[in-house]
Amino acid sequence: MTEIKRIDPRGPRFGAGITSVLSLASFALSFQFGFIAGYPLMVALFVLFAWSVFLPKNHPYQLIFQKLVRPRLKEPTELEDPRPPQFAQKVGFSFAILGTLGGLVVSALIPIAAAFIFIAAFLNAFFGFCLGCQMYLGLRRFGIIR
Amino acid sequence: METSLIATLGLLALGVIGGITFKVLQGKGHRVSTKEIIDLGKLKANNNGLPTTEYGKKATLVQFSTSYCGQCPGVKRTLSQLEYRLGGLCFAEVDITERLDVAAHFNISQTPTVFLLNDKGHLIYRMGGVPKMNQLMQELEKLGVK
Repeated sequence: MTEIKRIDPRGPRFGAGITSVLSLASFALSFQFGFIAGYPLMVALFVLFAWSVFLPKNHPYQLIFQKLVRPRLKEPTELEDPRPPQFAQKVGFSFAILGTLGGLVVSALIPIAAAFIFIAAFLNAFFGFCLGCQMYLGLRRFGIIR
Repeated sequence: METSLIATLGLLALGVIGGITFKVLQGKGHRVSTKEIIDLGKLKANNNGLPTTEYGKKATLVQFSTSYCGQCPGVKRTLSQLEYRLGGLCFAEVDITERLDVAAHFNISQTPTVFLLNDKGHLIYRMGGVPKMNQLMQELEKLGVK
């Protein structure tokens, strides 16, 4: 087994905090001005999720966290394996795809996708509960992911 | 205006309720009535890197971990300290990262999951997630571990 570089768990949580604000804003705009009004932010989420799935190393959240946030925090008590949060990003990405592509056909999918992304990101950022990570063992058990 | 505000606050409330539910349920244990005997040798359990097959004189704690579990190392440290502090208690850890059959057999869907065995190795109590320590201490006391 190759050695995997462990990460500061607060990094993904910080990113989830920004994601939860963006997705809640997308949701609110959809309800205020019609479903399509939430679309630009949904596209932004799509880009951010795609970025963290394909090029996690120089993701803007990551850079902000390392440059501005982490120096102000204490040393982490525990490092964690990056695979579950990366998997969680993929789950987020699939909802962003649903919102971005599906939203063009059925605009109601925009607030629906935004709501799912918000719940997952909010639980992670404010309660330290990573839905995607939690699903990881279960999904592997049922052979859905490897 | 009204609808969007209500919908947005509703979503926010859903997130908070979900988070609180998670905090309350996480690590909460329950009694197991099947009294299955847990064979530590067969599980390839270890204690601080050394294989172990011995049950504690009064009770044994078995922690199921995965390499991608962020909170497992912390829980392991806490439980190891308990073993050191309390008489008649043994601690063992089982890595199920690549042993999904074990996870399936015991219906483990998250790590850490902690099993409490009595002096004969019967599974009597289990906790999913980071164990609630006061609850665990009560259960240990019932088995005469002090």
